[in-house]
Amino acid sequence: MAAVALAGPAFLLLFALVLLPCAAVFVIALTDWQLGARTLHFVGLDNFVELLSDPVFRRSFRNTLVFAGGVVPATLGAGLLVALLIEAGNSARAVYRAIHFLPFMATLAAMAVVWEALLHPTIGLVNQAFQALGLPTANWLRDEDTALAALAVISVWQNLGLAMVLFLAGLKAIPPDLYDAADIDGADEPIDRFATVTLPMLGPVGLFVLVIVALRVIETFDTVRILTEGGPAHASELLLHTLYVESFDFLRTGYGAAMAVVFLVIVTALTLLQAQLLDRRMHYQ
Amino acid sequence: MADLTIDRISKSFGKTRILRDVSLAVQDGEFLSLLGPSGCGKSTLLRIIAGLETRDAGSIAIGGRAVDALRPKARDVAMVFQSYALYPHYTVERNIALPLQMRRLSRWQRLPLVGRLLPGSRSARAEITTEVLGVARALEIEPLLGRKPGQLSGGQRQRVALGRAMVRRPAVFLMDEPLSNLDAKLRVQMRVEIKELQQRLGATIVYVTHDQSEAMTMSDRIAVMMAGEILQVGAPHDLYMSPVDRRVATFVGSPPINLLQAALAASGDVTVSGRCIGAIHDTGPARPLTLGIRPEVISVTQPSIKRLTARVRLIEHLGSDVLVHAAIDGQAHPVIARIASEPAHTVAAGQTIGLEASPGRILLFEADGRRLDARWRGTAQARPLERVS
Amino acid sequence: MRPARLSWAAASARHATLLATSLFMLVPFAWMLSLSVKPPGEIFTATLALLPSSWSFANYGRALSESSIPRFLLNGVVVCGSILVLQVVICAPAAYALAKLRLPGRDGLFAVVLIALLVPHQVLALPLFVLCHWLGILDSYAALILPFVVSPFGIFLFRQFFKTIPDDVVHAARLDGLSEGGIVFTIMLPMALPAVIAFGTISIAAHWNDLFWPLIAVNSEQLMPPPLGVMAFRNDERGSDFGPLMAGATVIVAPLVLVFLAAQRWFIDGLTMGATK
Repeated sequence: MAAVALAGPAFLLLFALVLLPCAAVFVIALTDWQLGARTLHFVGLDNFVELLSDPVFRRSFRNTLVFAGGVVPATLGAGLLVALLIEAGNSARAVYRAIHFLPFMATLAAMAVVWEALLHPTIGLVNQAFQALGLPTANWLRDEDTALAALAVISVWQNLGLAMVLFLAGLKAIPPDLYDAADIDGADEPIDRFATVTLPMLGPVGLFVLVIVALRVIETFDTVRILTEGGPAHASELLLHTLYVESFDFLRTGYGAAMAVVFLVIVTALTLLQAQLLDRRMHYQ
Repeated sequence: MADLTIDRISKSFGKTRILRDVSLAVQDGEFLSLLGPSGCGKSTLLRIIAGLETRDAGSIAIGGRAVDALRPKARDVAMVFQSYALYPHYTVERNIALPLQMRRLSRWQRLPLVGRLLPGSRSARAEITTEVLGVARALEIEPLLGRKPGQLSGGQRQRVALGRAMVRRPAVFLMDEPLSNLDAKLRVQMRVEIKELQQRLGATIVYVTHDQSEAMTMSDRIAVMMAGEILQVGAPHDLYMSPVDRRVATFVGSPPINLLQAALAASGDVTVSGRCIGAIHDTGPARPLTLGIRPEVISVTQPSIKRLTARVRLIEHLGSDVLVHAAIDGQAHPVIARIASEPAHTVAAGQTIGLEASPGRILLFEADGRRLDARWRGTAQARPLERVS
Repeated sequence: MRPARLSWAAASARHATLLATSLFMLVPFAWMLSLSVKPPGEIFTATLALLPSSWSFANYGRALSESSIPRFLLNGVVVCGSILVLQVVICAPAAYALAKLRLPGRDGLFAVVLIALLVPHQVLALPLFVLCHWLGILDSYAALILPFVVSPFGIFLFRQFFKTIPDDVVHAARLDGLSEGGIVFTIMLPMALPAVIAFGTISIAAHWNDLFWPLIAVNSEQLMPPPLGVMAFRNDERGSDFGPLMAGATVIVAPLVLVFLAAQRWFIDGLTMGATK
């Protein structure tokens, strides 16, 4: 039938390029395979057990949690603030919107190199400016205490535009009638309007933005690889980078596959959580 | 309750003039409709009264005091929106309670959880709950108090919107086409309920609608608006029988009034399609006129040289009445006559019939639309009718 | 929100805050441009000056001659273009079948699409690498393109859109003698143009900026897409020459930025719509 011919290629490729490889990852995680080796052995859950006690992985996992825990709220808060400010007035909206979205569009790898120049300890703009303002300076990317924070700032810088754009869409979807009703009911101070109408109506959007941004943040790789390679001493190690290093630098593919499984579980859990929460909220709207 | 004075309000959006020097006085306890087609400015006027829109010129006074400098919440008005504008994330009870909470509780007292512990908060909230319950009972929505708007039907949401407006006992109620989102049957039912409510409360209501039957059935007075101006204000009956303008005559009444092109001679003779149908006093120069004749005023008779003849194009049976669509030679549009169904069962499409009307019920309009108030010469009684055999 | 006419104080506060955040957003771009036109002497003296005291375009010359930046951009165009075309050609018919045709196990197949949607491509990198190795296509355009030719997101988005197109249109097309494939490409896709644009925007932006997979799949500089190329260029220069580095970065970043500025509406609307579906 025509339907089979039309859908066939896509589903065959889906099977070959997504589902089969996905299963393969699970299988490889149960082996001790090294990339390029001729043989492999099944080792059961040994890889996962090793993960639990591996200091690098544990550091990486903790870093990723801390990283996301800082970047996601900051991005959402700043994105919402910018979106609210842009919508609140009539002038220069398109200009502000374009400016704030620009970092999201710019190739991160290239901008990472720019940030490297900005954060250079002696000739970088950041340290020069901080010095002029009397603020403390540091070797941002090479200091154990600041490397992760520096990457976090870059991540907020890049993802703010995404959060802003999605919040803008959410704000536009709020019926203006509700604000009129609030005015007449007595909630006409900005803070009352925000609490009575804006924030509750943005609920579903906020949830959605949260998960989208969280997923992007957890998948951070480019900046780590280019700027710090996880260092110094794994201070800025993040999950996806660790996964890459184990699988393709150290060629410990069985072990790396175990990490991939952990990563997949986290991502899936987040996405399903969002679907569940959104579903429940929709029920009452 | 209070009266409302609208004094020479003007408003433009950019270059477009929406309201031109509009003035209107609404009595205390009156149900007044703003009736007009889409775009005539009635909703804008309502929003200006509420304070949601600023005016360019003029003044609004409620209960004798000018409210122009006051924000909406200080004007003591309540509004029912076309879309109801209920807060989707609050329960029905919270929706109705909100206006009272905003006014009686301080910001600290309104905080969730913590606010309830503050002194005075509990008694204020108890008072509010009682009042909300009272309103809910009056509108028969008490069982719905725990639900959210998304779980209610259109009619139920409408009542919640009404409740939210009522609970504040405002000086003036403003309603912006509140029934237009309901199905026909519910609309008719709600019309009666709103009217009864208004009479019970003695409320002053300004009601915006484009539906003339709605305005006619509910209002004490109607203000007909077109293109930013009020054409006429009066009781429904007065608007129907004595419209001051052809536009008012066409807008009010269903089926719409029949308009015939006629000519007025200097002598006072009025001719329609070449036939003289009568003469009027105090005419002025010879000129073209438009005659307005309501469908129920026309009688269908035998064709004769002395009467206007027409050819029947279509018969509509309404059960109690019959609408006869007939084309008159020389007239651009067919006329519609409403007659009782008993004698009408012998009238058929294609027939030639005669038309008659009592001169006292025929309206005369000048070319520019103004009504010409003139007395007909001769007897004011209808000529004897001959039924079609 | 209906923006109110702001008081002078409120409007000033709004602009002040937005200008501050705009500054934060733009500083890296400004610094990039600034360093790219400064001669080496100036770059390495610690100054806060944005404008160079002597303009020099030598950095651009060096960047373009010492690396294959134009080649990187070309690779980006070739790879992203091919991926998008193939994605549409493969996913649209499948979406059509799921939306409009009676397919055995249709709901199950759609569930498979939803599951595939959950899997981030980095997780699959390893098996895909092995697959490409077996196929002998490592270090070629094919390796960069193959893993992405089927996009669960594309199938999902197109299906949602196709479902909103009335069945009668399809019936009429059949009566006119169109084949099912013809229907997909001459009727459904044109009618779902917003979805195509949205998908195209998201696909191109994602693959243009991807570093992870190209890092694994290719080695030769000739094949590097922009992110990988920039990284390679930076590794060559290894911390010393910011001038050419910034010039290189500017050239790499410029195309997508300029396209974005020209077609802002498309990008933003596309992204929003794709995300909300």
